[in-house]
Amino acid sequence: MKKILIANRGEIAIRVMQTAHKMGIKTVAVYSKADRNAPHVKFADEAVCIGEAPSNQSYLLGSKIIEVAKKLNVDGIHPGYGFLSENADFAEEVEKNNIIFIGPKSKAIRVMGSKLAAKDAVKNYDIPMVPGIDEAITDVKKAKVIAKEIGFPILIKASAGGGGKGMRVVEEEKELESQMKRAISEATSAFGDGSVFIEKYVTSPRHIEIQVMADSHGNILYFFERECSIQRRHQKVVEEAPSSILTPELREEMGIAATKVAKACDYLGAGTVEFLMDADLKFYFLEMNTRLQVEHPVTELISGVDLVELQIKIARGEAMTIKQEDLHINGHAIELRVYAEDPLNDFLPSVGTLETYKLPTGKGVRVDNGFEEGMDVPIYYDPMLSKLISYGKDRDEAIQIMLKAIEDYHIEGVQTTLPFGKFVFEHEAFRSGNFDTHFVKNYYSPEVLNKKAEEEARIAAVLAVKQYLEDKKILRIPIN
Amino acid sequence: MDPNLEKLKERITLAHIGGGQKRIDKQHLKQKLTARERVNYLLDEGSFEEMGILVTHRTTDFGMDKEIYFGDGVVTGYGTINGRLVYVYAQDFTVFGGALSETHAEKICKVMDLAMKVGAPIIGLNDSGGARIQEGVKSLGGYADIFYRNVQASGVIPQISAIMGPCAGGAVYSPAMTDFTIMVDQTSYMFVTGPNVVKTVTNEEVTAEELGGASTHSTKSGVAHKTSANDVICLEDVRKLLSYLPQSNREKPVSLHYELGDEVRDELSDIIPDNTNKPYDMHDVINGIIDEESFYEIHEDYAENIIVGFARLAGRSIGIIANQPMFLAGVLGTQTSVKAARFVRFCDSFNIPLLVLEDVPGFLPGTDQEWNGIIVHGAKLLFAFSEATVPRITVITRKAYGGAYDVMNSKHIGADFNFAWPTAEIAVMGAKGASEIIFRKEIMSAEDPVKKLAEKEVEYAEKFANPFRAARRGFIDEVILPKNTRRKLIKAFSMLENKEVSAPKRKHGNIPL
Amino acid sequence: MDNSFKVVVDGNLEYNITSDDISKIDALQTSPNSYHILKENKSFSAEVTQKDFYRKKYTVNINNSSYEVVISDGLDLLINKMGFALSSAKDIDSISAPMPGLILEIHVRIGQAVNEDDPLLILEAMKMENVITSPRDGIIKSISVKKSDAVDKNQLLIEFE
Repeated sequence: MKKILIANRGEIAIRVMQTAHKMGIKTVAVYSKADRNAPHVKFADEAVCIGEAPSNQSYLLGSKIIEVAKKLNVDGIHPGYGFLSENADFAEEVEKNNIIFIGPKSKAIRVMGSKLAAKDAVKNYDIPMVPGIDEAITDVKKAKVIAKEIGFPILIKASAGGGGKGMRVVEEEKELESQMKRAISEATSAFGDGSVFIEKYVTSPRHIEIQVMADSHGNILYFFERECSIQRRHQKVVEEAPSSILTPELREEMGIAATKVAKACDYLGAGTVEFLMDADLKFYFLEMNTRLQVEHPVTELISGVDLVELQIKIARGEAMTIKQEDLHINGHAIELRVYAEDPLNDFLPSVGTLETYKLPTGKGVRVDNGFEEGMDVPIYYDPMLSKLISYGKDRDEAIQIMLKAIEDYHIEGVQTTLPFGKFVFEHEAFRSGNFDTHFVKNYYSPEVLNKKAEEEARIAAVLAVKQYLEDKKILRIPIN
Repeated sequence: MDPNLEKLKERITLAHIGGGQKRIDKQHLKQKLTARERVNYLLDEGSFEEMGILVTHRTTDFGMDKEIYFGDGVVTGYGTINGRLVYVYAQDFTVFGGALSETHAEKICKVMDLAMKVGAPIIGLNDSGGARIQEGVKSLGGYADIFYRNVQASGVIPQISAIMGPCAGGAVYSPAMTDFTIMVDQTSYMFVTGPNVVKTVTNEEVTAEELGGASTHSTKSGVAHKTSANDVICLEDVRKLLSYLPQSNREKPVSLHYELGDEVRDELSDIIPDNTNKPYDMHDVINGIIDEESFYEIHEDYAENIIVGFARLAGRSIGIIANQPMFLAGVLGTQTSVKAARFVRFCDSFNIPLLVLEDVPGFLPGTDQEWNGIIVHGAKLLFAFSEATVPRITVITRKAYGGAYDVMNSKHIGADFNFAWPTAEIAVMGAKGASEIIFRKEIMSAEDPVKKLAEKEVEYAEKFANPFRAARRGFIDEVILPKNTRRKLIKAFSMLENKEVSAPKRKHGNIPL
Repeated sequence: MDNSFKVVVDGNLEYNITSDDISKIDALQTSPNSYHILKENKSFSAEVTQKDFYRKKYTVNINNSSYEVVISDGLDLLINKMGFALSSAKDIDSISAPMPGLILEIHVRIGQAVNEDDPLLILEAMKMENVITSPRDGIIKSISVKKSDAVDKNQLLIEFE
């Protein structure tokens, strides 16, 4: 493979290109008109403009991208995450055009793309799953019966949903009917598919996922877990590896279960199997993400493996040379997603120009970054500026390094999730490992950040007056 | 504890209280700040050094020895404004109504003398009921001492008077002789004789505000160069004014740092209307030439047919004199000429280069003008320009007719550079008037005189209503495009930086006053 | 001199800081503009990043968050109390002739609502047509002249509601 086209933008495009360059592979970037000045365009060896700013007129135009790939004699396409990475049709088109799709086969994408199909594929492999029904329902009466069987509270989930959308919790039976109706109508308008299914709502759930990698020679490895329980609006903000609560036995159990899931859909390449863990440390299969995930760096740091490099090698048809016994956890890594959002305003996107943008540096600090000082934060795409990752010999050190890195990360011009991150890493619940996906709901409110800001503001006020009184003492004479 | 130290602390505290808290509150209620508050606001933070805080009056008549105040009703000293040394005196209305006594005047004279010796501007914040009657002729003498020094300092150091309260009787002559007078609206007034005496003598009923308030002096008499809405704005206006001026006549004004770009101003291309009888606002032309927001207008509401004020060109402080076509077509009149002449002479005294923007159809006709001496007043402006040795440049935007062409800084009276826009009309008079005279015989003997006149008008206009005849003779150095005016001027003023011209040896000329 | 200051942070948080507060704060100067502060055993790192002494504006960085501080002393407060704003808006109720001339055209009627800069009437003077524009938004209350009237300087032309 001599040339790869990265069908993505921002930090992930740069991240993939970095590994490609390391391997001596040439890179092609694609960009929309709004991204002409983006770093990923400058980083690549070749770059082609593929359309207007809105994603559906540029980064989502699969056929256009394939056209560009053919024209430039590209050997492989890496889809990154989001955009077309889990679009089975796109994967199929790429293959049809004799270009290697650096990821799973389109069939695997299709199966795992539907939660129901995924559950179906997996049920023969003895994988624990959240109690619930295996099929989509629209009949409220039937739903009532099933819900009673599973036991309240239950969760209504849109089959075609993802990223936290289309989920509703039902605490009591009397709410079931109205919630069902609303869930179905929402799902129809959001995803074009109104099928929902019901499963038990796990209280105090923790979100733990396993990184897997499968090659074309039958080898499937698991690269340990990632804990992603700090979420807001069902979107991950903080991830860490390894999890603070897994025992080595659990780890092995979950790892093996994950590889079975990968086998079940004849998987190829990098993938992530998501599990839900309850307070009793019981885990249940949720779904599989058939792509390289945003939070992959924490796994890379503790395992010492370049996952993108593996992806490319596997796509080339090579067999993995590592064995499961060779993989060990070394140290602890934490990632904070730095979004251009205002934590004081319900995490709504914060638009503006990055007037100041200085990255933190130092031992144990890694920043997967997609922006430069002076750039505008475009409104068309995901507002993620970068991923701030810290790595230490243990969890405490990783937290310390992360806190210092947040302090050294200077961003002016937009609001970011950095102060929120600081709040998380200083919080007792996080530090002790005693948290679940309700962490944000339980502990965070804008007032909490405000109070801290107010305290700091008062100190700033006193210090300013102190400085002023000092400055006053300095003798001033007329300039001549 | 040294007993003298106690005494010192006590006296200083008393000096700061002035006439007492009650009087201070009254001052505040009238929307006026006290003298000390004004000085603290005017000067840079922490820069004020007071002089004579312990001075008291020496009068014993009329039981005056029972009532003494430290400082004697005026706060004097020096400080900095934007880092530059200035001297200041501020009359304290809470002490005897700010009335002037022998010692009060001595304090003022002391700072004036220092200002002269050192060469720095002096600012007077006037707020006084007049002479302290109990002192008799001694206070009159005090006034005269101040007046004499105003004259000695005139043209040597910039003198600015802010009228922030009453200023009546003889006291008004000091501000009158200083370079600029700024009055606070509603809370200040100036007149030689007050409404009470006026009523008894001429039977006119008039309020202090009507007789000599800020708007009266800004619009009718021209005694005030600027009106400020309140004390704070007045002090800000003083600070801003000083930024254009040098410390003394021995120096040039300080230029601000400026990064040159292409300096082309396209907005000037469409300012002149096609119809020569349609007016335009000369302020727009000024703003299209100078640095952004740098115009400080003087006499904004007085003799509005001419605009004078300070501005910056690429950071350099200049004085602008410009006819205003929007007002009485921009003609020159009695008040107009005086307003402009004084400004020209001030700039000349203090090494401030002059820019003249000309669009003048002539002098204002009428008995009012002639009987009030337009001849002599118009001559003032001509005299002032001719006498000025600072760099002076003229830009003719449209009309330049008749005698007014000569007066408005023409080449013949020593202008260094004369530019004209293509729309300039340099002629003895307008096309219509000229045609009526020159082609009179032809028009009268024509079949259709009206049509003939119109024809001849066009002919005349084509031949004469343009800058080219003057350019051919070198009376105009260059015909330039409006959008390039700023570029040309920046270069020209820079070229003239070191201009030096000497005048014939004489005590002083005899400008027609 | 003043012992207490009114301080506004970031435009909306107000504090009254006295010299007592200054002496109580446990701040160790670590470099010309940086301090280490201990408050109730919590540690803060502070840095004064921008100073404008004359305008009494300072920018202080506390633990990597930046705060803009504006200090007002007694005189500033007094000026504020007295209502001296630094800009004055004029409320104009009537328009008088700026110069003697002839009314050529009147563009408005009584009761008409006009916006700032709308043309109101044309005054011809010295053979120039001067368009008198409205200085503000308002409703015409009265028009004291008619077309072809000769007017003197300062003669009342139009009144606003």
